[in-house]
Amino acid sequence: MNRARGAVSVLLLVLALVSVVMVEPGRAQAKPELTVALSSFSTEVLDPALGGHIVKYYLSLMFDYLVGTTPDGQPSRDGGLASRWENSPDYKRWTFYLRKGVKFHNGDEVTSEDVKFSLQRATGKRSTTGYAGPLRTLIQDIETPAPDRVVIVTKDPTLIIPTYLSRSLSTEGMVLPRKYIEANGDDVFARKPVGSGPYKFVEQVTGSHIRLTAVDSHWRIGTPRYKSILFRLVPEETTRIALLRRGEVDVADVSRERVRELEKEGFPIHFRREEAILSMWWVLGPDGRTAPSKDKRVREAMNLALDRAEIAAAIFAGKADPAAVPLGLSWSFKDVGFRVTPEMAYPHDPARAKKLLADAGLAAGFNLDVYAYQLPGLPEGKALAEAVAGYWEKIGIKTRLIPVDYPAFRKLWVDRQIPGAIGYYNIANRDWIGAYALLEKMAYSPSKPNDTANDPEIDGMIAQVMRQTDKEKINALMRNTFARLRSEHSGIPVVYLHSPYATSKTLGRWNVGTVMYDLFIDQLAAGK
Amino acid sequence: MFRFIGARLVQSLIALAIISVVIFVLARTTGDPLYLILPMSATQEDFANARKYLGLDRPYVEQYLSFVGRAVTGDFGMSLRARRPVSELIRERLPNSLKLAAFAMGISLVMAFPLGVMAAVKKGTGLDRAAQIISVLGQSLPTFWVAILLVEFVAGRLQWLPAGGISGFSSYILPGFTLGWFVVAGLMRLLRSGMLEVLDSEYVKLARVKGVAERRVIWLHALRNALIPVVTFAGIYFSILVTTAIVVETVFAWPGLGRLAYEGISSRDFPVIQAVVLTTAAIVALVNLCVDCLYAFIDPRIRYAR
Repeated sequence: MNRARGAVSVLLLVLALVSVVMVEPGRAQAKPELTVALSSFSTEVLDPALGGHIVKYYLSLMFDYLVGTTPDGQPSRDGGLASRWENSPDYKRWTFYLRKGVKFHNGDEVTSEDVKFSLQRATGKRSTTGYAGPLRTLIQDIETPAPDRVVIVTKDPTLIIPTYLSRSLSTEGMVLPRKYIEANGDDVFARKPVGSGPYKFVEQVTGSHIRLTAVDSHWRIGTPRYKSILFRLVPEETTRIALLRRGEVDVADVSRERVRELEKEGFPIHFRREEAILSMWWVLGPDGRTAPSKDKRVREAMNLALDRAEIAAAIFAGKADPAAVPLGLSWSFKDVGFRVTPEMAYPHDPARAKKLLADAGLAAGFNLDVYAYQLPGLPEGKALAEAVAGYWEKIGIKTRLIPVDYPAFRKLWVDRQIPGAIGYYNIANRDWIGAYALLEKMAYSPSKPNDTANDPEIDGMIAQVMRQTDKEKINALMRNTFARLRSEHSGIPVVYLHSPYATSKTLGRWNVGTVMYDLFIDQLAAGK
Repeated sequence: MFRFIGARLVQSLIALAIISVVIFVLARTTGDPLYLILPMSATQEDFANARKYLGLDRPYVEQYLSFVGRAVTGDFGMSLRARRPVSELIRERLPNSLKLAAFAMGISLVMAFPLGVMAAVKKGTGLDRAAQIISVLGQSLPTFWVAILLVEFVAGRLQWLPAGGISGFSSYILPGFTLGWFVVAGLMRLLRSGMLEVLDSEYVKLARVKGVAERRVIWLHALRNALIPVVTFAGIYFSILVTTAIVVETVFAWPGLGRLAYEGISSRDFPVIQAVVLTTAAIVALVNLCVDCLYAFIDPRIRYAR
């Protein structure tokens, strides 16, 4: 017995010694490396033509855009390769003047030929970027009259070229090294990318990390504060938080429900406020909207049935705000001068909802399929679908929750196989041109597959935006489109989601910005 | 002996061929990967372009023959999601899984041997019951729960060990323990029952009568003969550890084969799914072949009976 006790004591002593040896001391001084732990790397690709906007947060460190953007989404002459640009009087020729002396990481100088090559590649058939299609349709020719000058010729007059090629949208505006890609091929470039940004590629281990190292000094950020940046893929939140507590990571995305706990421990939380609008919609049939949601009263009733404040508090831990305008991308509101008035907010009014259904001849309710799925950045997806279905049950609608994965729903939606059913998406917020591009897909009948509005009046307004060259008129068209979407109850706006990022206690100030899918990590790394 | 091995090899190859067909069909029943790859703004033209570029527009039979034709040369095609050769991804991830599985197996053997032997020797005592409780807990506690508790308390709160990723020896301990504990239960119970059987045999009784020290009887005479089923079990479990550590690899941010499989499935990355399943099937087939050969080597009756 005594021997056993002795053995246990020895074992405990060994364990204690091992644990003491393995405890790593806390780090007090500044680190040469900035470590960012994220729950997902999405596609993990390194080629801007293949990754699109969803991997901008690391690509924008390796590559420069033709047109720069401030963290609050405004075009910037300081942040892009073009130090200035101008348009012809007919708005069909856009001339960009390139910054001189900028070099790619392999030493080649950035020239207009690189810009032309990059844009052709981004709009080529192989590209999967977000706005390759619209640019392909719009651009007629790309001229390179001088190494520091590139002219983009469009088929129609347009105002949107600089924004389309800026950091505020997708990756079409990223400038790639023509000579390097032509000499080594697309596959080599996709594995060992070369850009001209403030950080250059070092290594990627898929499913694990991407490491970048700083150039000595860069025109965008000066001498970088961090010699390297490490993006770590850590899918489990408990692990990301443990890494943060241990001082192994400096930035981590966290869920809304863990924010309070981390704040209590003193970790600064940086919110990307209204990063996405959680919007629901009725799937259209082959010939447009179908009964019963064809009746405006039904659409209003379903909107009034929801208690958005309760949803924000109970499902999103209070880190969300009620939304009032279908597809109402609020970062664009200030650009176009749109204001959400108190009257636009949907009250929670089940009594009026029931009356509207009765007026529509549906006092006994109707059957409704609600598709329930998780989405990246929306772990609350299924809980939301259940909650919303519950509110509709209370006004007499007989809901049926159908659990699927999102791609399966997306196919049913765009193929119009489930007319009248309900789907949802956490649509990333964006500026006016991004909002326009989204409306052109989701609220414009000619775009057919993704349309959710089916409203000829909105079609007319959206059709005018692209060809309009008077910004004031564009603003008015956009304002009227949002107002019409709201007055026709064209969808079911639920909440604006705020996305939290926890940082180490010593990281300092960080403006996470209001640009789609971009965390502006270079702001953290800026030595300027 | 060679005929026996040859026959087993042919059986393994047939099994792999059948698995290749099954996984090819099953992967495609999950749906169209383009609905995940392409942005919401993609047009029908974008879909057609991507389908052609990725070779998904070809007839299924042509796609299958192309996949098998390349797979036999070790080329599993290009990942639809990461746009990198799948064989490269496997080469990156497989060693991590093998290392973790080996470490976990080491931990489970270190835990199972003393527990199993002591439980048999002290049958019916508190020690036996404690060993059984440890083994039952190992098999009944969900792996994800154990993993998250360890990360939260041992790594996050106490800060004794790394929480995730591969960063040296200490980073193996928590994922290795989580994986290994599950295996301890099986090994320990097998060892205990084997030991109980052997301890009751005539030659052990004779050794005791001859005055051999009890410690020597247990650890040398009895244990050696109780080991055969344990070694077989450990071999099979090793292949299972390599191929099924999805949860542990996810919680501990361990870039292994299990995570690659999960990423492939969730993004409908057909080439990755096919490659991972074929690789794991090959590992299982190889281990089974080795075990069969070992059996045949140990017990000649097996090879003569077939």
